[in-house]
Amino acid sequence: MKPDSKIEILKNCSFLSGAENHILSALADATHNLEIAGGETVVAKGDSGSTMFFIASGKVRVHDGEVVLATLGTGEVFGEMAVLDADVRSASVTAETETLLLSLERDDLWQTISQSSEALKTIIVSVLQRERSIVHDVTTRTAQVQAFEKELEIGRRIQADFLPEYVPEVENWEITSYFEAAREVAGDFYDLFELEPGKQLAVVIGDVCDKGVGAALFMTLFRSLIRASCQYSALNPDIGKAADGSRDHISRILQTGIDFTNHYISTTHSKSSMFASLFFGVLDPQSGELVYANAGHESPIIIRSGGGHDILEVTGGIVGLFPFATFSIATEQLNPGDLLLSYTDGVNEAKNENGDQFTEERILKTAISGWKNSEDLLNRLLDEIYTFRGDAAQSDDITVLILHNLVVD
Amino acid sequence: MGDMSILVGQEQGNVAVTVLKIEGDIDASTFKDLQDKAAELVEEGASNILLDMADVKYMGSAGFRAIHAIANMLNKEHEEGMYKSKHVKLLNPHGEVARVIKTLGFDSFLEIYEDRNAAIASF
Repeated sequence: MKPDSKIEILKNCSFLSGAENHILSALADATHNLEIAGGETVVAKGDSGSTMFFIASGKVRVHDGEVVLATLGTGEVFGEMAVLDADVRSASVTAETETLLLSLERDDLWQTISQSSEALKTIIVSVLQRERSIVHDVTTRTAQVQAFEKELEIGRRIQADFLPEYVPEVENWEITSYFEAAREVAGDFYDLFELEPGKQLAVVIGDVCDKGVGAALFMTLFRSLIRASCQYSALNPDIGKAADGSRDHISRILQTGIDFTNHYISTTHSKSSMFASLFFGVLDPQSGELVYANAGHESPIIIRSGGGHDILEVTGGIVGLFPFATFSIATEQLNPGDLLLSYTDGVNEAKNENGDQFTEERILKTAISGWKNSEDLLNRLLDEIYTFRGDAAQSDDITVLILHNLVVD
Repeated sequence: MGDMSILVGQEQGNVAVTVLKIEGDIDASTFKDLQDKAAELVEEGASNILLDMADVKYMGSAGFRAIHAIANMLNKEHEEGMYKSKHVKLLNPHGEVARVIKTLGFDSFLEIYEDRNAAIASF
């Protein structure tokens, strides 16, 4: 590049806009041409560097890993911070297109610029202007982050409304629930509702895949479809030939609820590939009979009052992906003193600092540890999880739902 | 978060089959790479994909979502919501991965093969 063109480029650069011609001319003599191919990285964050660059033509991006901080073009400079304060590079710079640069060494810059108070003043003003622009950006972004946080808080409060407001009072049964989201909004959920007032109690515990807002949106869908379809079919005699609360009738209500929910989500929302694992049961509080489907969910445990336990294995796959999925219904008996412990994978997959998981074995060990009541069992389980986890962060939502038959045999 | 790599191979059975040999973990940090790679191959004309799972040590729910999404990409319109995918099949999942496939019920909706030649001939 000819010396005149170099001077022209430096002159049009705001970084040196007040410098006199003889200063620009001296600086131009000290610069070197540098041709950079698109995709090539010119400076890397953390490196020490003594060179600054003027962009003669082309385009570069200033970035920290994947995060793009700025895009710069003709007449702009980069690398000046490390040159001025002799610290390491604060960000990386990569050419977006074929780019022509003029490079200038720290010593050359200082030597030349110190001869002109006007040029020094321009550089100080230029650096301060950049600082003001950064302060402005940070202020704007902080306001944006606060607005997002507020939205998320509204989402969290609305989602809380999709969990039962209170645990229903059921004579001779103690029901205990626990829910702790890993983030503001969660994919876990549980539900407790009576099919008809004073009659069978529907019990749902579920885990929608993925985390955050997407999972939370689908959680509200799964929960609402199950509750709505079951309550509707409980009131609708056409669902069963005999709406008499018999095992067949309850099975049909449960089957309708899970089939309807699966079909709706797998056909209407197929493109999202979102699914949930669910344990879904209907308890007859009088007889202790539990009719249930376990759709790909962590197996609940029944702790028998006389010792021993039973595991309620899966009766089918997950809900929400495959329109033709079938879900089998099974039956168990919760006898006087028996307790059902159900949970989501935030419990068995809780991780400690080494990445080890809490596991079903530890859950079972706690479940047979001689608790006083369901509240006591829940507290023991949570204590065990927190102790196991140590300083490791909670990685997933945790939900626990316990049903305890209080009838004394 | 785990690492994952994908090796792409082409096989000719009754039809052309693209084999993706996956190594490592398919989790929240890697599933996108698998999905993107499959999308790229489908864009280039692949219409049958065999996922070789022999070297997959862990697959989380994100991995299952990715496989469902890949099956969706290859479903012809008239096959929408069909029982088992005709265009995406699994080869040799084992250990914990095989157990989770069964627990989540994916074995009912994906053909799973132990023999590579049989898998390729099945398309």
